[in-house]
Amino acid sequence: MRDYLKKKIISENFDFEEILLIPILATLLALIIGCLFLLATGETFENILVAFTNLFIGSFGSLNAISETCTAATPLIFAALGIALAFRAGLFNIGAEGQIIIGGMAAVIIGFSIDFLPIWLHLPLALLFGAIFGALYAAIAGWLKATTGAHEVISTIMLNLIALRLLDYFLRLPVIQKEGRNDPISKSVLETAQLPQILSFIEPQLRLHSGFILMLVAVVLVYWLLFHTTIGFEFRSTGSNPNAAQYAGIKASLTIILVMGIAGALAGLAGSNQIMGVLGRATPGFSASIGFDAIAVALLGRSHPIGVLFAGLLFGALIAGGRLMQVKAGVSIDLITIIQALIIVFIAAPLLVRNAVPWAFKTKDKS
Amino acid sequence: MVNIELKNISKSFGSVQANQDINIKVNSGEILGLLGENGAGKSTLMNILCGLYRPDEGKIIINQKETHFDNPGDAIKSGVGMVHQHFMLVPIFTVTENVILGNEKTGNLNYLKIKDSEKKVSEISEKYSLLVNPKEITERLSVGAQQRVEIIKVLFRSAELIIFDEPTAVLTPQEVKELFKIMNALKKSGKAIIFITHKLHEVREVCDKISILRAGMIVGEVDPKKVSNKELANLMVGRPVNLSLERKKNKTGKTILEVDNLSVLNENREIALNQISFNVKEGEIVGIAGVQGNGQTELVESITGLRNFVAGNVSYFEKKMEYITPREIHKLGIRHIPEDRQKSGVIANFTVSENKILNDYYQKPFSSNYIMSWGDVERVSETVVKNFDIRTPSITTLTQNLSGGNQQKLVVGRELSNKVDFLIASQPTRGIDVGSIEYIHKQLIETRNNGKGILLISTELDEILTLSDRILVLFEGKIIKEFSSNASTEEIGLAMAGQS
Amino acid sequence: MKLSYKLFGAFLASVLISLSSTAFAFTACQVTDIGGVDDKGFNATSWKGVQDAVAKHGIGSKLLESNAETDYVPNLNSFVSEGCDIIVSVGFLMGEATANAAKENPESKFAIVDFAYDPTIPNVMGLIYNTDEAAFLAGYLAAGVSKTGIVGTFGGINIPPVTIFMDGFVAGVNHYNKTKGTNVSVLGWDPESKEGLFTNNFSSLDDGRAFAQNLYDEGADIVMPVAGPVGLGSAALASELGTDSLKIIGVDVDQYVLDTKNQSVYLTTVEKGMDATVLGAIESAKNGSFKGGVYVGTLANNGVRIAPYHDLSSSVSNGLNNEIKKLRSSIINGFLSVKN
Repeated sequence: MRDYLKKKIISENFDFEEILLIPILATLLALIIGCLFLLATGETFENILVAFTNLFIGSFGSLNAISETCTAATPLIFAALGIALAFRAGLFNIGAEGQIIIGGMAAVIIGFSIDFLPIWLHLPLALLFGAIFGALYAAIAGWLKATTGAHEVISTIMLNLIALRLLDYFLRLPVIQKEGRNDPISKSVLETAQLPQILSFIEPQLRLHSGFILMLVAVVLVYWLLFHTTIGFEFRSTGSNPNAAQYAGIKASLTIILVMGIAGALAGLAGSNQIMGVLGRATPGFSASIGFDAIAVALLGRSHPIGVLFAGLLFGALIAGGRLMQVKAGVSIDLITIIQALIIVFIAAPLLVRNAVPWAFKTKDKS
Repeated sequence: MVNIELKNISKSFGSVQANQDINIKVNSGEILGLLGENGAGKSTLMNILCGLYRPDEGKIIINQKETHFDNPGDAIKSGVGMVHQHFMLVPIFTVTENVILGNEKTGNLNYLKIKDSEKKVSEISEKYSLLVNPKEITERLSVGAQQRVEIIKVLFRSAELIIFDEPTAVLTPQEVKELFKIMNALKKSGKAIIFITHKLHEVREVCDKISILRAGMIVGEVDPKKVSNKELANLMVGRPVNLSLERKKNKTGKTILEVDNLSVLNENREIALNQISFNVKEGEIVGIAGVQGNGQTELVESITGLRNFVAGNVSYFEKKMEYITPREIHKLGIRHIPEDRQKSGVIANFTVSENKILNDYYQKPFSSNYIMSWGDVERVSETVVKNFDIRTPSITTLTQNLSGGNQQKLVVGRELSNKVDFLIASQPTRGIDVGSIEYIHKQLIETRNNGKGILLISTELDEILTLSDRILVLFEGKIIKEFSSNASTEEIGLAMAGQS
Repeated sequence: MKLSYKLFGAFLASVLISLSSTAFAFTACQVTDIGGVDDKGFNATSWKGVQDAVAKHGIGSKLLESNAETDYVPNLNSFVSEGCDIIVSVGFLMGEATANAAKENPESKFAIVDFAYDPTIPNVMGLIYNTDEAAFLAGYLAAGVSKTGIVGTFGGINIPPVTIFMDGFVAGVNHYNKTKGTNVSVLGWDPESKEGLFTNNFSSLDDGRAFAQNLYDEGADIVMPVAGPVGLGSAALASELGTDSLKIIGVDVDQYVLDTKNQSVYLTTVEKGMDATVLGAIESAKNGSFKGGVYVGTLANNGVRIAPYHDLSSSVSNGLNNEIKKLRSSIINGFLSVKN
């Protein structure tokens, strides 16, 4: 019965054009316009082909490329899952960046300060603290909204700024700051709190770490939470029609705080993931605006966990491939930012896509 | 003089054939009634005529000349005007400002020649006896007067064909009479009129001919003089319809709901309900009649735990209800059909089965320990879909793809398939087709016959009269009169206008 | 149809070209830090060193810009797998990443600007600069030119390659006070406690404007921003206020030449000859004399210097100019310590 139901959900409510075609076309259009940008800046046609060939080779062309793509995608997807979840509940969580910072800070402190635990305790503990502190930090915005009606966009933006300054402050505290350094940099996390690399047995420089697997688990868990639990049902109801949800007896305030908390936990895991899997320590710029890129990923993934997974991999691929593109073709890596921005423009304005390639669409504009 | 003909019009959206091979024709000095259930294709057809959609096939012929409308502007230029069901007026503008909006006459330096326009509005208003002061602020006008502004707007743009889209839905019986007078005056002055409605006696009263639309096709063209309500309904629904319900005398039992001197504020902190008292007993339907916006919404919300009240009491089986949440209300066996199904009844992008469990998703069998069991949801939803005659391709169809009537049946099904002791039915049949209305009415009567109590709130007087055992008229937050079930439309209509 | 064949042909050709692009016998590669190659500062200057090598020796060059700290490691790895003959990483913040890459790839040669390893790594040449020697001269100059008797400085991040400028600057001012019996004060840096004003980034021009404004409000009429492109914001403010109110001392590379929009506001620039040292590192790798360790740029080997006064030379008296020339030679000869 359940399989039958699933089949039906996929076959009937899976709006192929909305969920798949538009994101794919948006990406292609963005790449094409990226080409035009290059032509306009005087690149030769040949060099542009070199650039785009290497964009692909650098992201999927080798085991190392795939490893880099996945490494870059992992924190993006973690944070984007949280943002997507909040979207589903009707909340626009701009605060992933701040939640990443706070979560990452918690992870780094647990990571370097506890030296008596074995890895199988220390590692989960650090991750747990990253998630909890990310959650608590995000829940502030949720609590403000639930109790005072303060708009979450404003409060999360402000919390981002506060997080940034807190990070500066913490990194200068003697207990956190690395010995012998005057600049804001934390002590390094101990080996027992580092996410083990998973492909280094093939080649040592493959950086992909076990955070990637945790991320895949998170995708499944978020999917399950959203579509197979009463909590997810409440999130989706409140997000789709708060009035009807209220009439049905769902408490909006509780839902808001809960969903922000979970979103924050996921962002906190993104931060912990960077600290424990990639950087090994915290510095003022460790969040690297992942929290903002993740908003784009959530949009591109249509706020669906599976969509977010693929959108995150695409963004990861652009980051990893952009590197080889610059190396081989000498094209500035800023092009990648332009392409990412264009993708979002097209996603935000699907009519542009429909008008640009009308023959790709069977159904006409529904508005 | 004008004559307009739609010839062999077809239009489809994806796999849905909205209009198929439709021919209609209307001349100057003629009122064509376009009768059809919701989802029969009336809106699509009218949107084609207004230039919003382009037909896949077929022609629009105006005065024997084939015409193409690329956008609504083209249609207006060709003399087609529409009086919308939901008024398109800016509340804080004057009547004249609303009339000229988008069609402003300006002099040098874009100086707005408002005086000229005011004069023209007055002229139109006198010519067709559309009584309205051109300088009045629109939001201060009654609903009927606002509708007259809409009509003036259309005439101001020199429309020759005027389409009225469900114009009577928001009017009191007296205002409906006024409207019909206006329509007849327009007809006499040579306008062609298309009157869209689902109310059978209205088309018979005012139209010269009637076209009936069902499932995207014209299924009948009849002469209103020679046809009965029953025949019309049969054509519209496609099967025999039982319009007059058998409402047997029923013995009433214990008092279920006791409202005692209830006072409630609205969002602007103004008095919305002013010390009202009434009760509902087991086995009766109490109808609350009144024009929309006289406190109905606030009344329902304060009984269902969605709004706090400032004074008075509401008791349920002699137990006071105060600071009670909607969820506790559900658990008490109080069921609620919200007045606006789009806004608060269903979640449009949820599936039928998800909407079915909206109130009790957290209970067994739909979930246990926070985990949804979709298999059971499916099983129960299938039964409800079958029992309540919800026409849907499947229970996993998105609710927004259902017709209004089926969405409403889904709401009714959801509420009545649970334990019911008391039902609050607010506008239970607004904007839905005859078949669904008939069905929902039967369900309500059956619930009453089973000894349950129903509080029915409706702005459709016919509905109140058909269903209620007692009728209370709500006017400006007060119950100004109580009627028995055999009161006349005339009496209640006057009370609805505030004359007790 | 024909066109599409042509296109396909071109595509294939380009793929082939891209796969066999190691056309040069020797390739020098540079990874910038997050300031980017157009920072008009140390990334740009180092890249100029690479370009000088290209012009001089006909070698190949490649560039990778880092958008975020997380890019350092993968960027270095990319160049390792590209088979670069020398990899130049720019900036103190890349110190750890470069050390790790060097240890993992002992065959590759690295040079890093602004970092000295202790102990040294055999395949990394650390290029560091006794910037305090030049900054000392700039501090003395500023103290002599200031009318308000207050000068200021601020940094990007509190790291040695930044604070060494500020140390030298303060020492120069103090030396002026000692010699002349004046009381010129420096805002923004305390060499004792190692505390001062920092924007905590190397990118925000707005911060550069705001910090300079604060120092100006406190009375400073000469400000030395040690924060890469951040200083461009300070220069814009100075150009609005007029050079009588506020002058700027640039860092890294003669800002008069680079910041053409506001060139008149620069009293001088404390220059680090990164182009020359990077060129030197590349040449050593090319001719086989490459050796891991530390190369120190000083006033003596012209690795650091102060730039000409350009438009503002009229505000520097001949006497002051001569004193600075004398100071320079006493520093070179070791008669004068620039430490505080």
